[in-house]
Amino acid sequence: MDQVAVTAFFQTLVQGLLTGGLYALIGTGLSLIFGVMRVINFAHGDFLAIGMFITLLLFKTFNIDPYLSLLVAAPLGFGLGYFIQRFVLSRLGDRLSEGSMLATLGLGLIISNSLLLGFGAQPQSINVPYAINTFKFAGVQVSVSLLIAGLGTVLAISALNLVLYRTELGRAIRATAQNPLGAELQGVKTSNIQAIVFGVGVSFAAIAGVLLMPLLYTFPTVGENYVTKAFIVTVLGGLGNLPGAIAGGLVLGVIESLGAFYVSNNYRDAYGLIAFLLVLLLRPEGLFGKTVKRV
Amino acid sequence: MRPLQTLTALAVLSLSLASAQSTIKIGAITSLSGRFATFGAMQQAGFKVAIEEINAKGGVNGQKLELLLEDDASDTNKALNAAEKLVNQKVPVVIGAYSSGITKPLSQYMARIKVPLLVATAIDETITKPGNPYTFRVNNQSSVYTRSLIDQLKKLGGMKTAVVLTSNDAFGKSVLTDAGKLLPAAGFTVLSKDTYDKGLTDFRPLLNRYRGQNPDVVIFASYEEDAVALAKQIKEVGLSPKVIAGIATGFALPDFLKGAGATAENFLVTMVWNGDVKYPGATSLYSRLKTALGGEEPSQHAAQSYAAMLAAADAIKRGGTDPEKVRTALESTRLNTAFGPVTFRDYAGYQNQNSVVGLITQVQNGKFVTIGPASAATGKFVLPKR
Repeated sequence: MDQVAVTAFFQTLVQGLLTGGLYALIGTGLSLIFGVMRVINFAHGDFLAIGMFITLLLFKTFNIDPYLSLLVAAPLGFGLGYFIQRFVLSRLGDRLSEGSMLATLGLGLIISNSLLLGFGAQPQSINVPYAINTFKFAGVQVSVSLLIAGLGTVLAISALNLVLYRTELGRAIRATAQNPLGAELQGVKTSNIQAIVFGVGVSFAAIAGVLLMPLLYTFPTVGENYVTKAFIVTVLGGLGNLPGAIAGGLVLGVIESLGAFYVSNNYRDAYGLIAFLLVLLLRPEGLFGKTVKRV
Repeated sequence: MRPLQTLTALAVLSLSLASAQSTIKIGAITSLSGRFATFGAMQQAGFKVAIEEINAKGGVNGQKLELLLEDDASDTNKALNAAEKLVNQKVPVVIGAYSSGITKPLSQYMARIKVPLLVATAIDETITKPGNPYTFRVNNQSSVYTRSLIDQLKKLGGMKTAVVLTSNDAFGKSVLTDAGKLLPAAGFTVLSKDTYDKGLTDFRPLLNRYRGQNPDVVIFASYEEDAVALAKQIKEVGLSPKVIAGIATGFALPDFLKGAGATAENFLVTMVWNGDVKYPGATSLYSRLKTALGGEEPSQHAAQSYAAMLAAADAIKRGGTDPEKVRTALESTRLNTAFGPVTFRDYAGYQNQNSVVGLITQVQNGKFVTIGPASAATGKFVLPKR
């Protein structure tokens, strides 16, 4: 019996970490956008929904493997994000920070209602035979799809890190985040950088959507579930703090899983929100955040 | 299914009926959009087939029937608004709604304004217990579903422990309460009883816990999307009980078979109607419903809605179009339909409650096969391969 309990604990932990990885991927996109542009992207969940529906559409019409649709969803997400920043958000000017918040909220509504019009309200899923494949490691059984999702997250975030800290573009992004005016004076075209960052953020949401699709089902307002999680993740880690968002995602995934396993499933969403409130009360800069000094 | 098709279907239906000179209007409310949209499409098909059948035979008392179908968008307030609108159009009876959570307040509202409500699909106990004189239910109540399942499990034998997981709403809680009483009475030890909030998509922690408890039977009560997620995640975590059972609703849908694929194999699902039932006319009803659904497999919800429409027409035939007289006529309904018998009786604290034989089906090779009770069975129970 003890052996069983230990295995169950590790299985829950591993699944919590993998689910948390997906939260981290979603949270990273949100956090990146906030870090560079101080825009809270309320449409983030809807961009995730777009990723899911692209996967669904490609699978249903051309029978394309869900993971191959990454090749479509990621660039499309980037393009969409770039376009939105360039032609919508940047045109709002600096008058009010609420302006961009409301704009993303509106965009989210447009996206979810367009999906509703195009695909209908009923939940839809794709059924690939390998979606239920599992493998066993030391008694712990893990879903292959969930593991792929976890690995995809690691890849996407490592790539982002590489770009941010090893390339000229990354330097420009970091400069824009730290001081847009200073960056502009040094010859960085900040409007372009901001559009790229928004594109990357949206692309991350779309990637998360694709990775979720073999595991779950989708419907037009599916984003609502995830946008709350993304906010919790970013606040746990500290807004605009990328390593924090990753840690925040993992922490949330594990808290939810272990809470549902050992305490009660009824308060599952409450565990994350309690952590959220505690962090806001005791460490408003986030679990892993430094106190941010704006220049 | 798709909004556009739904609209076209509605338009065609209303056009074809508008030509009749004076019609009897029957009100219906279901969820054509929102999270219950799949069930709503089933109900719509059931209504349509029943009305076509009745009108083809010359209608009711020489007048054709006309369906006034309102969408509640899976939302209680919209259902209540729809009811008000229908009552203002002087319908003698309203059929609806799909889900228990919406139907319960709706039934109280209809009783207040004294227009009879025919409940086709909702299964929460409290809709007819205590119920009210204006609410009539065609479907079995949830305790009958749960009881017929547990009776069958007892008959299969060799199983001692069970866990129950239901959605956190009127229907789910109703099942959880009944199973909590009926399982111990049938000699089962209940190892876990849990509910989950709608919108939950990750059942793994709970299923991991069940895996540790190693129950013989796992019982679920969930709507469509959760049923698919549950079936998939059971396989993921490696939970392998002797029987996995779903109480109607989400599990009784052809979309569940499609979405869950091979993971649905050998699930037990309780229903009151399946394409293979032995009632006279059932085969023809099955194929007519299938046509109305554009070739998709019909579920019990379509057949229930068909029967509810027949009951409404029968009551109007005997009582006229005054709501109060329709109510009185409904009380003495004695119909034998392709869905099964329809009678509204008061018994054991229930009011105006129909009683249909509860079927136990098993998913075999991607199809629902009735395995119990013996009088209705068309196949045999299969133990899942481990």
